[in-house]
Amino acid sequence: MESALAELLTSALVDIPQAADEAALEELRLKYLGKKGSLTAASAGMREVPGERKAAVGAALNETRLGIGAALEERKAALVAARDAREAEGVDLTLPGRPVAPGGLHPLTQVLDRAVGILRRMGFALATGPEVETEWHCFDALNTPGDHPARHPSDTFYFDSGRLLRTHTSSVQVRTMEGQAPPLRIIAPGSAFRRDEIDATHLSAFTQLEGLYVAEHVSLGQLKGTLEAFFRALFGEATELRFRPHFFPFTEPSYEVDVKLCPKGQAPRWVEILGCGMVDPAVFQAICEARGDEVYHPDKVTGFAFGMGLERLAMIQWGIPDIRHLIENDVRFLGQFA
Amino acid sequence: MKVSFNWLADHLDLTGHTTAQLCDLLTFAGIEVEGVVERGVRSAFLVVGQVVSFAPHPNADRLRLCQVDAGEGSLRQIVCGAKNFAAGDKVPVALPGAVLPGGFAIKESPLRGVLSQGMLCAGREIGFSDDADGLMLLAAEAPVGVPIHQFLEVDTMLEVEVTPNRPDLLSHLGMARELAALAKLPLRGRADYAGAALGAAAEGAIRLEDEEGCPFYSARRIRGVKVGPSPEWLVRKLESIGLRPINNIVDITNYVLMEMGQPLHAFDLAKLQGGLVVRAAVEGEAFVALDGRECALSGQDLVIADAGQVLALAGVMGGADSGVAGETTDILLEAAWFHPSRVRHTSRRLAMLSDSSYRFERGVDPQQVLGASALAVRLILEVAGGEAEEGTLSAGALPVRTGRVGLDLPRAQRLLGVAIPEAEVVDILTRLNLKDVGGLAFEVPGYRQDLQRSVDLVEEIARVYGIANIPSSMAGEFVAASAADALYDSKMGLRQRLVGQGLFEAQTIKLISQGQLEDALGTAGQLLPTLHLRNPLSDDHTAMRPSLLPGLLATAARNIRMGASSLRFFETGTVFGCTADGKAIEKDALAVVLSGPVSPAAWNRPSPAVADFAELRAVLDALCPGAAVKLKPVAHARLLLAAQVLVNGKAVGLGGQLRPSRVRALDGKHPFYAAELDVGLLVKAMNREVKFDELARFPAISRDIALEAPAELAQGKLEDFFAASKEPLLSGAVLFDVFRDPSGAKLAVERKSLAYSLTYRDPQRTLAAAEVDAAHARVVADLLKAFPVKLR
Repeated sequence: MESALAELLTSALVDIPQAADEAALEELRLKYLGKKGSLTAASAGMREVPGERKAAVGAALNETRLGIGAALEERKAALVAARDAREAEGVDLTLPGRPVAPGGLHPLTQVLDRAVGILRRMGFALATGPEVETEWHCFDALNTPGDHPARHPSDTFYFDSGRLLRTHTSSVQVRTMEGQAPPLRIIAPGSAFRRDEIDATHLSAFTQLEGLYVAEHVSLGQLKGTLEAFFRALFGEATELRFRPHFFPFTEPSYEVDVKLCPKGQAPRWVEILGCGMVDPAVFQAICEARGDEVYHPDKVTGFAFGMGLERLAMIQWGIPDIRHLIENDVRFLGQFA
Repeated sequence: MKVSFNWLADHLDLTGHTTAQLCDLLTFAGIEVEGVVERGVRSAFLVVGQVVSFAPHPNADRLRLCQVDAGEGSLRQIVCGAKNFAAGDKVPVALPGAVLPGGFAIKESPLRGVLSQGMLCAGREIGFSDDADGLMLLAAEAPVGVPIHQFLEVDTMLEVEVTPNRPDLLSHLGMARELAALAKLPLRGRADYAGAALGAAAEGAIRLEDEEGCPFYSARRIRGVKVGPSPEWLVRKLESIGLRPINNIVDITNYVLMEMGQPLHAFDLAKLQGGLVVRAAVEGEAFVALDGRECALSGQDLVIADAGQVLALAGVMGGADSGVAGETTDILLEAAWFHPSRVRHTSRRLAMLSDSSYRFERGVDPQQVLGASALAVRLILEVAGGEAEEGTLSAGALPVRTGRVGLDLPRAQRLLGVAIPEAEVVDILTRLNLKDVGGLAFEVPGYRQDLQRSVDLVEEIARVYGIANIPSSMAGEFVAASAADALYDSKMGLRQRLVGQGLFEAQTIKLISQGQLEDALGTAGQLLPTLHLRNPLSDDHTAMRPSLLPGLLATAARNIRMGASSLRFFETGTVFGCTADGKAIEKDALAVVLSGPVSPAAWNRPSPAVADFAELRAVLDALCPGAAVKLKPVAHARLLLAAQVLVNGKAVGLGGQLRPSRVRALDGKHPFYAAELDVGLLVKAMNREVKFDELARFPAISRDIALEAPAELAQGKLEDFFAASKEPLLSGAVLFDVFRDPSGAKLAVERKSLAYSLTYRDPQRTLAAAEVDAAHARVVADLLKAFPVKLR
């Protein structure tokens, strides 16, 4: 009996590793361990085994069953592993994926959002104002002389109503101060319009970002520190700035700010990027007159203001040589910034 | 404004300052240097040479072999390509070791097989003139062997941008004064010129009829002058800043203009009839300017006239017939003060810009008018001879433009953010020629009309002290976020969701053409009246866009031309209109255009789906997550299929399919779908309070129904029916199939099949099948009663 069991085990241990697939393995399981299998048949022989040998034969039977079971498990694990491996067989993982429609924000929006994000972190709140403006909000309140060339119809778009398309977002300074008492710390992104022929560096409608901070004792040092922090956050910690004194009717002192560009393979150069200054007392006086109160009296508050062209920021940021790309919306262009 | 260093050297000693240092000094004091032109080369190796003889080059027909005396005791052999010289001519010779502009180093080297021991130079090659044709021929008296820079003037010319508040810098004297203050250098001479005494006004010689335009007019008469070419020194001065010499009289007026900033004008006395009148022009009056331009004058133009005609446009330009010419012997020299806004008006209206108008419209120094006249008379007598009539004819009085300004030092220090000591402040202001009259009050010189208030002085202090010396600070008060902040965030969210659907954001110009108005869609049935510009620059930009669609269709057309097939764009921005009485209205809009493949073709999707109405609908759904989007059919002139877009029941805009004729005109290959929404309404409609809804604990059971309905029955009506059903167990209905058979074989052509999956659920317990069947039967019975449909 034991020898028959040993033979059975040997034969099973030869058959099982050769099972080609899980179905063949199942057949072998049935052949050896099934209800009608060899081992079951052998167990039936136990009845004839004499009592003193029952224990030994029983142990042999058990050992055979365990041996076959282990072989079946082992082969099954190997076959499952092979099946799992086959699942990924033949897949070329270098093939392109499912096509995805590209899409993306316009580069100007991206620049705007970065600038707005930085300035909001610095405590500025957004403000808006109309693009069709009164001459008072666009010029008079901003201390611009009555015969200033910027007011001329050759430079500024007018409507029959006498209103105009704002030539700068600085008019939002006026609008906000009219409606809100200090302290005021605002940024106003938006369109501005000048009667310029469109060429590689000019648009008749462009985008500005205006900033204004009015409170007691706002200083030039704060303007400088604020803009330095802003441009370092925008262009990197190593960004170099320089402030050149300039003239604007609505600020005094006034500055133009240049940023140093270091394009690869070219000599570094300074590029004008922003105009700024301390709010001229005449602007505060105009606001006081319009409001009919004294909360903006130049003896009580001071302020700084700045304005920059976003097209220029985008052109600097990405090395865009021609401003017209920004209004043509060619997908080959837009796709580069997605 | 062009500035010559040599000219500046008349007033102050600039040796010891490099060009770069001076440029920085000016730029950081608010006088931006925009360009630097070096004239000539300062080199010991660039000398005066004399061509002793020359012969043809043995190997090249177009070259000459010259023997040149460069003052070295022996002759040099130099190969030269120019032909414009003869033996004996003096020319510039670059000896080996010379470095010419552009870094070109001269060496001894063979040229076509013959040794050339230097180079004979053209004017342009050594930066002394623009002439590149032939050698620069030097005067016969040029000393052989002497470095050229000792014989010809080497100079540096700066092109500076002078801001409109600083007309005092529009002269060499003014620029010298400024540099002296900035660099702490003494002025060589005086800071201004003294004027001659005013004579008794000769009766009728000058009449001021427009004292607002011309508060002061003066004239000097000089007889017996000889008009001719200017002397060398004067020619050099003018050429150093790029001016062309004309004749000695005109050149002197130009010299005084550039030296002092005071424009003058010389009339030919013989051509004047009677006394001068300064008056406003008569509307339509004719005038021929000295450049030949004929113009019709307006009543705002200020003119100088005599009994017969208009002689000059005051401060702008002289006339063609009254100026100094070759035969002139007697002149009348004008020195006046014209009102800036009158000069500006005329020069802009006629587009007639001159060095004179440029200065008058910014404001010349009233205190220098007579000084300039006196300087010009002195120079004319020196250069052109003649005799000046005693005394100055004049009318009116010079305006007083400045006075005393006090400085509030503590406020200045707070404004700057730095405690500049009083002594330093006083030093800065006195260097700028302000007179300290004690108590931090200052007398302002006549040429600084821009200094009227304490803050004007603060600007001067900041400019000279230097912002680099002001410590940076980031301090700032906290302010609360605004409604504009909330709107900005909402709009950025809308943009991001559309980008997520594979759309590109476009930004188009807000000014559109008359023709583009035809593409306007708008956000409501009726567009507001269009806002038109009064002074458009071109026909392409005459109207404020009433809709974003024209810009997006132009964007689509451009991309079609460039070969794009998938067109998926959106834009958000202001649209404009006006009320019946012309009052402007501005609104924030958002528009979407979709056409062609919804995604790029690829190996596993060679022909991707092409945008259809459902695609537009999907984009709108994605735009408003969590909101109920409904499309209500309407009619619209621009659209083949049009719908009002409802978000949470609120109408927010329009959407639909463009008319095929428009698509064909755009060269579009696929149908175009578009929507335009009012951002304000959309944000408001989407603004809802989100409250947690308990998750269902008991399973739902679904029952499907297929309905046969008339083809024209809108699915939305069935959707609304299910949504409004009173059946308490019905929790949802989803359309899962729509079928039509154009052949009529399986379903009549005018019928369609709609299949819904209805979900039943009780939040409190698990439903039994029988309950669901009963509820479903009730729903179906109601449905069949409400619509002309039958179960399939």
